[in-house]
Amino acid sequence: MPKGSLISDIGSMQLESPLILASGILDENGYTMRRMLEEGAAAVVTKSIGSTERAGFTPPVVVDLGDNLLNAIGLSNPGIEHFKEEISIAKGIGKPVIGSIFGATAEEFAYLASRMQSYGADAVELNLSCPHVKGFGSEVGSDPSLVEDIVSEVKAKINVPVLAKLTPNVTDIVSIAKAAEKADALVLINTVKAMHIDIYARMPTLSNAYGGLSGPAIKPIGVRAVYDVYRETEMDIIGCGGISRFEDVLEYMMAGARAVEIGTALKTYGRAIFDNIKRDTIRFLESEGIENIEEIIGAAVKK
Amino acid sequence: MIHAEIIRKEKLTPTVSTLYFHWNADVKPGQFVMVWAPGTGEIPMSLSHIGKEKAFTIKNYGPSSDMLIKLEPGQKIFFRGPYGRPFSAVNGKTLLIGGGSGMASLHPLISRNAFGLIAARTREEILFMDEFESGNVSVTTDDGTFGIRGNVLAGLKDLDVDSFDMIYACGPEVMLYNLYKHLKDKNVNAELSLERLMKCGIGVCDSCSINGFQLCRDGPTFTMDQLRYMNEFGTEKLTFSGTRVSVH
Repeated sequence: MPKGSLISDIGSMQLESPLILASGILDENGYTMRRMLEEGAAAVVTKSIGSTERAGFTPPVVVDLGDNLLNAIGLSNPGIEHFKEEISIAKGIGKPVIGSIFGATAEEFAYLASRMQSYGADAVELNLSCPHVKGFGSEVGSDPSLVEDIVSEVKAKINVPVLAKLTPNVTDIVSIAKAAEKADALVLINTVKAMHIDIYARMPTLSNAYGGLSGPAIKPIGVRAVYDVYRETEMDIIGCGGISRFEDVLEYMMAGARAVEIGTALKTYGRAIFDNIKRDTIRFLESEGIENIEEIIGAAVKK
Repeated sequence: MIHAEIIRKEKLTPTVSTLYFHWNADVKPGQFVMVWAPGTGEIPMSLSHIGKEKAFTIKNYGPSSDMLIKLEPGQKIFFRGPYGRPFSAVNGKTLLIGGGSGMASLHPLISRNAFGLIAARTREEILFMDEFESGNVSVTTDDGTFGIRGNVLAGLKDLDVDSFDMIYACGPEVMLYNLYKHLKDKNVNAELSLERLMKCGIGVCDSCSINGFQLCRDGPTFTMDQLRYMNEFGTEKLTFSGTRVSVH
């Protein structure tokens, strides 16, 4: 590996850097995902896709909180049958595309995962953590035995790496992580369940009332979750939540993450964020005399 | 969310009204806001008036616009913005081409040097015709009830497009695509303001994207050179759920 290289891997998936586009941000249209890859993302995670078409919630679906963001898009998606073309378009550039899926049962997840694999997805991310839709996401992902069933079923059906994205909206994330131990990697964390009220309208701003908070405000929660799970398990971890600068990437990696997902920061910094963080991270490694980025994974954790 | 009180309301056509309000913000022609109808929805809307007094010109076409158009002076409106890349300013002769309520976002560009080409379905839907200098406006209607019968291309036949320093256009995508094809091999400067389904307005949800460019942030105004590389323009778009469909 060349000095200052950022090459990373998750299971059998090779990444040119640890910087992945997170699910839910700019990843509904294949051409957009392709542009993200062209402009520096090492991989993209698609919007979460379910078995059937789903409109999602009526706007307002976001509340702009400066660098932070509250959203309740409502798992809007075209349904797995209509998603093949977007994957093909995104894959045109030859970098990894990770298919995110959501369902209510282990069988549904397994079906969606095998479709994603057949479309050419390089890995599958299980959305066990969306905080704002009844019957899906964190409702599924808060039940350790259901999480274990889902991961087992999916692992039995596909060969590409399986990533389990977990919710921070639980008392003990380590027990959920252990339930998902058959996954090739964990993604920690999804958004934090939250709300915003407009005081002049005297009602919640989001049409769904509840949403998920993302951005720098939740980074310390994400870093803590990665640290806890890294200390208690041997699993590969992808850090997610509030990453907008190279310092954030390193903080997550020192807590135990092998790679990171970036989403909300695109709002503030635009598509150039991937190349900017890459450049700054390489500079940091050089100035600190770190030959291999793997050296820093978990560096801050006392096992 | 910003809130303001409606100070005046002007009915322009049976289905279009302008709502005026005070908002101390620097807004440029072509920019938009996301307007919230509490309890009903939120929609993108161009500002038709951007001076000290701001205004939206609203057409009644769905639940949120229905609710907004019924608001009266004294009532509150809620919105966030301004968003989007404005039309670039030029000195010289301009041609403003507006289709339907697309005229709203062109309204701030009306000046003595501007020639208007207004495309409407029918006579009573023509917007802002009287605000152009006399002799500086041409109108097309689909049903021939006023001006030239036909679409915007029929109106372009009699115009020497090369003689303008800039062409600004706004309207439905099919109209803009026809206009783009008409102009693309000519030596003209043009900026087209596109309309697409928009949910977030801040460049994160991907609903309004064309070839990886977010209309809400990289646009809604695009130059001819940018449009040349967008094969989704005029051909395909995503629905509210994200299903890929034809624009036509």
